[in-house]
Amino acid sequence: MSASANVEVKVGDCSNEDPQKLAAFEEHVANGGLIEPNDWMPEAYRSLMLRMAEHHANSEIVGALPEGEWIVKAPSLLRKLALTAKVQDEVGHGQMLYEVAQDLGKSRNAMLRDLITGVTKYHNCFNYPCPTWADICMIAWLIDGAAILNQGTLAHGSFGPYIRTMRRINMEEAFHFKHGEDMVLTLMSGTDSQKQMAQEAFDRWWEPSIAFFGPNDRPDELERPAMRWRMKTATNDDLRQKFVNRFAPAAMATGLVINVCTKDDQGNVTSATPDPLLKLDEETGHWGFTQPNWEEFFRVIRGNGPCNKDRLALRRFSYEQGEWVRKAILDGTTTPCKN
Amino acid sequence: MLSESRTNVPEAKGELQTQEVQKFPIWEVFTKKKESAVHLHAGSLSAPDSDLAQCFAREHYGQDQPCVNMWVTKRDFLTADSGENEFYELFVQWGAGLRYEHVGEVEACNGVEARDKCKELFCADKKYFTIWSCPNSGITKIDGSTDMIWRETTDQAYRLASGYSKVVRKKWEALRASKAVDDYQSEDLKDTY
Repeated sequence: MSASANVEVKVGDCSNEDPQKLAAFEEHVANGGLIEPNDWMPEAYRSLMLRMAEHHANSEIVGALPEGEWIVKAPSLLRKLALTAKVQDEVGHGQMLYEVAQDLGKSRNAMLRDLITGVTKYHNCFNYPCPTWADICMIAWLIDGAAILNQGTLAHGSFGPYIRTMRRINMEEAFHFKHGEDMVLTLMSGTDSQKQMAQEAFDRWWEPSIAFFGPNDRPDELERPAMRWRMKTATNDDLRQKFVNRFAPAAMATGLVINVCTKDDQGNVTSATPDPLLKLDEETGHWGFTQPNWEEFFRVIRGNGPCNKDRLALRRFSYEQGEWVRKAILDGTTTPCKN
Repeated sequence: MLSESRTNVPEAKGELQTQEVQKFPIWEVFTKKKESAVHLHAGSLSAPDSDLAQCFAREHYGQDQPCVNMWVTKRDFLTADSGENEFYELFVQWGAGLRYEHVGEVEACNGVEARDKCKELFCADKKYFTIWSCPNSGITKIDGSTDMIWRETTDQAYRLASGYSKVVRKKWEALRASKAVDDYQSEDLKDTY
């Protein structure tokens, strides 16, 4: 799971670039051409791509933290195996994306440290709590489902190493998503208390899922660098609508109710009422829905969400506790591990 | 309790009390999904030495999807002009954005000659984007049949989408019409790349 859709980057203009090279680059990209690391690219493209890959990598790493907590509490051996594999995959995605970002000019080490010290961000949805097993189920179904939608479009982007990584990642996300569906369907065909637990988790995760695609499009969205240079191939609002069209009817078919919720500072739901805008527009084929609370979204991004501090504290703790491993590796005192 | 060792971690403030790690060399990994396939570039990794590069390669590129054979080499070798007289493995990227594909090997006295021979032997009349050559002495080859990479001795279905497809389909069909499930599943992704 992850996303880079909502990374906000201010890109300097390209006034220092050679106009001829820039024009050739833009034409190449506009015609569907792909960029490899050794090709000429404007500095703004390089830095935007780097920040996108880094934000994506950070999200993979932090996303594994709440899930990792649930490995030891998984309800069966099969679920434990699958969740362990998922967490291993997510961290692996982080490693692959850090490699892509590293090739664009920032060291892995600097990226790992900037994440811990709060210089760089990760995906906002991981700042919410995960109090029950059903939250793990909803994350795998909704957040990974949203990530697949987003990454499916990112895989048609313009930067070769990133799109190759995206394709490999998507194949693993396909497993996370199917497993998520299996878990949600299991709960929703279970006992009343399982259904209630699923509904409560759904209430916590529906809003972060639709906010996952990032803020609403701006009027000039298609002209902004990420779209113009085909790093993104779909806008946030288009992806969000596509997500709701797919998941709203599916959720309702399982018996889940799509509510508009209010939450307290800890991310606990304090009120839930059925979304009044939720209906199918027969003409357009689109489902109506209530927008996420954007004020809260930006407040949480700025570091004031229910779990921002916990996630970074755990990340920092692991990094500091892992110091001896890095030292041992550098001293050459390790022996390689095998299966 | 183990599960609680991860919660209520004290919040640390100030500078990180760890040393900067020096930049590791970069390694490229090629994997072969099944015996009848060729080695394809899987991705890169950072590691201080060859032993750890192999260890990380297994972890990151060999255990998330089927893999019967894996090659690991230092990135520098792939574009080096110099070299000794020996066999070189050749990889071609047929177009920007595509994965490097193993096309064969040649005997050559250095990297430049190996890539020239690659153009003649494997790229004649064909458009290609870039070529990598790697001296056999610089590549670590891991054969999954004698040195297991992807675990085949135990059931791995739990970590593949295909391991859930049937049961999930059945559960959906108990709730929705087949047509609605088809529409919903039309956006599913395949689980191999």
